[in-house]
Amino acid sequence: MLIRAFTLLLLALASVSASAGKVPTLTIYTHPSFAAEWGPGPAVKEAFEKTCNCRINYVVLDSGGDILQRLRLEGESTQADLVLGLDTGTMETTRQTGLLASHKTDLSALNLPIDWQDSVFVPYDWGYFAFVYDTEQLPNPPESLEALIAAPDDLKIIIQDPRTSTPGLGLLLWMRHVYGDQAAEKWQQLKGKILTTTKSWSDGYFSLFMNGEAPMILSYSTSPAYHMAVDKTERYQAAEFREGHYLQVEVAALVQSSQQKELGQEFLDFMLSAGFQRHIPLKNVMYPATDLGSELPDVFEKLIHPSAPLYFDPKTVTDNRREWLNEWLDAMTR
Amino acid sequence: MNYQPCSRWAALPHRAPFSRPGWRLWPGLIIACALVLLATAGLGSLILEASLPDLSELWRNRYLRTVVTFTLWQAFLSTAISLLVAVPLARILARQPVFPGRSVLLRLMELSLVLPSIVAVSGLVSVYGRQGWFTDLVNDWLGMSWNLYGINGIVLAHVFFNAPLATRILLQAIESAPAPQRRIAAQLGLGRWLYWRAVEWPAVKPVTPGLAALVFTLCFTSFAIVMTLGGGPAATTIEVAIYQSLRFEFDAGQAALLAMVQLVICGLLWWLAARHGLTSSLLPDRQVASHRSKAGSSVWARLGDGAILSVFVLFLTMPLIAILLRGLPGLDLTPALLDATQRSLAIALPAGLMSVIAALLILACAGTASRPVVIRLTNVAACLPLMIPPLVLGTGLFLLFRPSLGSSNEGLVMVTLINGMMALPFVLQMLSGPMGSLDSASRMQADQMGVLGWYRWRWLHWPRMRRPLALAMAYGTGLSLGDFGVIALFGSPGQPTLPVLLYQQLGSYRIDAAAGTGLWLVLLLLLLFSLFNRLGSPLFRAGLKNNTSRILPEPEHA
Repeated sequence: MLIRAFTLLLLALASVSASAGKVPTLTIYTHPSFAAEWGPGPAVKEAFEKTCNCRINYVVLDSGGDILQRLRLEGESTQADLVLGLDTGTMETTRQTGLLASHKTDLSALNLPIDWQDSVFVPYDWGYFAFVYDTEQLPNPPESLEALIAAPDDLKIIIQDPRTSTPGLGLLLWMRHVYGDQAAEKWQQLKGKILTTTKSWSDGYFSLFMNGEAPMILSYSTSPAYHMAVDKTERYQAAEFREGHYLQVEVAALVQSSQQKELGQEFLDFMLSAGFQRHIPLKNVMYPATDLGSELPDVFEKLIHPSAPLYFDPKTVTDNRREWLNEWLDAMTR
Repeated sequence: MNYQPCSRWAALPHRAPFSRPGWRLWPGLIIACALVLLATAGLGSLILEASLPDLSELWRNRYLRTVVTFTLWQAFLSTAISLLVAVPLARILARQPVFPGRSVLLRLMELSLVLPSIVAVSGLVSVYGRQGWFTDLVNDWLGMSWNLYGINGIVLAHVFFNAPLATRILLQAIESAPAPQRRIAAQLGLGRWLYWRAVEWPAVKPVTPGLAALVFTLCFTSFAIVMTLGGGPAATTIEVAIYQSLRFEFDAGQAALLAMVQLVICGLLWWLAARHGLTSSLLPDRQVASHRSKAGSSVWARLGDGAILSVFVLFLTMPLIAILLRGLPGLDLTPALLDATQRSLAIALPAGLMSVIAALLILACAGTASRPVVIRLTNVAACLPLMIPPLVLGTGLFLLFRPSLGSSNEGLVMVTLINGMMALPFVLQMLSGPMGSLDSASRMQADQMGVLGWYRWRWLHWPRMRRPLALAMAYGTGLSLGDFGVIALFGSPGQPTLPVLLYQQLGSYRIDAAAGTGLWLVLLLLLLFSLFNRLGSPLFRAGLKNNTSRILPEPEHA
């Protein structure tokens, strides 16, 4: 096995160096859930490579935060032609690095809950943060954020840390959007309901929620779609909150120093076509950024449909994140 | 290099390979220097990138103060309890050299430390969590209210991870207690307390400071466990604050400052440990024959030992059984899983080998060197990788090597290198006892007879080191196999390693498949440890080379 492993490594090295220079390669920095075997990455790669006479090379970094960090570390010398997997929480900081280029993509096909006009970032999917609950443990979930905060302390929830995870930051913004300056006070009331705060979504969902540790976890309103479509179970559902749900939009952008800008632009355009978008609903388990019509899986009809998307302008998030984080830390450690 | 005819070995007709004294000193010294340099460069480039913030920020900021005190407190508690569990257990295991399942138990004990935290936490939660059977038992039958989340959970998890490691190292120390002492103690029929005073304590004493420092540092820098089981931001370690400043705030200065705080606290501890733990090579170790203590042989003593062992076995195996039960339905040997396994091994085996070779060379250097500065340097180098957060090291090195770094293959080499480095402190702890166990009389005799260089290693050290080396190799490889942090840092190419695969499956909601991958990783680690243990056992060698005469009696390591 060892010898095979080494040969494999050598072959991989050889093939990388051999294939360079024949067809142009588009290097995309992305995160694991996109590039995973079951994510949209492989299907998108196949579909795009059919039309472009090029190759796509995914460089998989830990999360959206890491894509930004890697980009900053590499600066002008970055190998990335395109970054895919940033979201509304990280995009403004990325824009401020000055390392990204404007796009020429026609955004008229977009079907988002908010109006999107941005010269740098092209959205490819979106979703709402929501509390997913186990119907067997919690037949009657709270119907509003207020009800959750006012619930008796034996209702336990799992959240993620806004210092280390995107959904965690999402909840921070959600609370801030609903309660404004009273957010800190409300966090203190919510504190008794929080079973634990995990480092990442994966830790909470896998180690705790799926082990039945708590009936509710901070996740996405689209999470039940996967359980219903693939696991064939309706056990896990998202609780619809009256105040509305915080919106997350995932975006991609061209890198300024890229030698493959035309190819990258081609990819951004392709991103809003059905060839890309049809892989989003069940493989990225998010809403597609364009209207897929009848191609949208039926389970998406069974999801909650929040009426009011709660959303801060990315610049507001960047300007206030640190202050709001400290406010949260202060409230939670008191 | 000039040939020195005056060297006193030059007269020998066949000089042993690698017999110049420099061979024992320089490679280890170079590695130690490289390690220190690498760590300084990593930290230094962060500081250069963004200037250090005001030092007074550290005590003016209430949050940072809380973080530092909490980190210290939980690490202290976890270390104390881990050692309190480990000492009696190691004694019992040494007293009871034969009972059914002993070797399986030892393999399982080796496993807990190398388990990826996400898998281990899942197992711990199924037993000690709100729905766990332990919690039901304690709450319903004993009328107590057990809550996993908070300091309880952190300490429990840390004991689960570290007590078996500590037991393993202590057991190795007790079993390598000098045979004459053991023989005399057995002849005198010493009771347990006296046997502890006369035989076990002197054997355990030299490894304890280093072991305590190792466990403390592990708990001090623990991250995912503390966050998941700690309950909330009140339970935060310095590592979290570093992670936050590097990943989300891009505040390299603050990250470097916090890393230095961590370095100073842990470094101080290691310094203290090193001052009290350098006596190990003073013990004579000439084995004549093996005698066992009579203390463990009475029926009552055996029953008592059995009871304590059973409790420990339950503590250790229940979470593992939970991992097994959860993972079994999703375990499917798909090509993706097997590919990831190969890739993981291709990183972990070289990393393990590297850590073992580096450790040996550093130990050889420390044993040869007469200058205190060299000894201190090797001590520092040996534990440095534990104290510098991988994120800081990785980011610093990235800054240092850019723009030359970046292709995925270089990334993989980096991953192997850093993984090997991370495993070094463990490997050193495993090897330092056995390496120092050569007594000075044998050493001098060997010097006089010209048993030097390669021959000295082959005939004097190797028989004693084979088992510890195998165990060290298993730990080095196992730690790299389960690593997620370092590989995630450098960006993997499209093809994942096993831990990356597990996170990919989780990211795509494939919870069952992820549980299966977690189980596969556990099984693979178990297999790896058994395999290395077989390779290190005398039986294996005897099977291969029946005619090899045994020059020296074997020290008995489990």
